[in-house]
Amino acid sequence: MSGDGLAYETFAGSRGELWMMRIGPASAPAILFVPPLFEEMNRTRALVAATMRELAARGFGCWLPDLTGTGESEAPLGEASWRDWRHDVASAASRVAEAGGGPPLLAALRGGALIDDAAAANGRWRLAPVEGAKLVRDMERAGFGGGEWAGYAPSPDVQGCLADAVPASSPPLRVMRLASDPAEADIKVEGPALWRRSEPGNSPELAAAMAADLALWHATCAAS
Amino acid sequence: MAAHPEEHDPVDTTLRGVLVDVLGLPAARVAAFDDGTALFGAMPEFDSMAVAGLLTELEDRLGIVIEDHEVDADLLESYGALLRFAREKVAA
Repeated sequence: MSGDGLAYETFAGSRGELWMMRIGPASAPAILFVPPLFEEMNRTRALVAATMRELAARGFGCWLPDLTGTGESEAPLGEASWRDWRHDVASAASRVAEAGGGPPLLAALRGGALIDDAAAANGRWRLAPVEGAKLVRDMERAGFGGGEWAGYAPSPDVQGCLADAVPASSPPLRVMRLASDPAEADIKVEGPALWRRSEPGNSPELAAAMAADLALWHATCAAS
Repeated sequence: MAAHPEEHDPVDTTLRGVLVDVLGLPAARVAAFDDGTALFGAMPEFDSMAVAGLLTELEDRLGIVIEDHEVDADLLESYGALLRFAREKVAA
C-alpha cells in the first residue's frame, strides 16, 4: 500500500471477479464512485482519482469499481449486458458495506447516474447526469455512420437499454452541474467538461469542489 | 464591434459555452470569436468526437434536434455559419 492509501480489491462481478480501486482506509465512511460510460470513463479517470484523493485526505474511504467489460475485467465489452452493469454496482456497494464503513454514499458521474440506483446506499450524488438517449446519439454521431460506436462495440442489449435509460429519482439525491450547463441542479460549479475532451485531462479545482460538496452531502445523509 | 451581442443573444452565449466545454479552449479565446473565425479543419481540437459532442450539447442546451443530413463541412466551417444555423433552428 502506498502513502496515500491506494489499494486494489476484488468483488463479485456479474461474470466473474472484478477489481475496485480504493483510496483511503477500507473501514472509513465510504464513498463509492460509479464511473461514466464508454469513452467518458477514460476522459474522467484522472478527475475521479483526484477527487478520491481529496476525500481520502478528509478521512473518507473512496472506491472506484470496474464494470464488466471495462478496466481489468476479463470479459469483453461486447458480452456485458445492462443487467450485468447494474449487478456490478450493487455488488460493489455490498462489498464496500462489508468492509466496515456501512452502506456507501454513491457518487455517479454522467452515465453512471443511469445505474447508480441499483445499489443500496445511504445517499446519492451525481455530477452532470445525462439521459442514455443523449449518450447513444453522441456515440452514433462519433462513429459517423460507420455503424461503430466511436470505437466501442457494446452488446445490443446495452445499446437498447441505454437508449431508454434515464437517471432514476432515488432520494436522498444531490446533483452538481457545471455553470455552463443550463439544466437544473442543486449546486453549480465552474469547471471544464472533461468528459467532452478528446485528450484526457484533469482539473484540481473541479476535483476540490466535488470533494467538498461530497463531504458535505455525506454528512447530511449520515445524519438523516 | 459595435456591441457585445453575447449579452443580448442567448443562442450566441450558449454556442460559445458549448465550444468552451467541448473543445477545451479558454473562455477568453472563444469570447473573441467572430463570424469569420474558422472552426472545423482550422482547430486541432475539432475532431469527429468533438463534432459529435458539439451537436449533442447544442441539442440539449437549445432544445433543438439536428438531423444528420443537416451536418456538413459548410455548417462547421466558421463561427458565423454555426451561429446562423443555431439561430434558425431555435427560431423554427
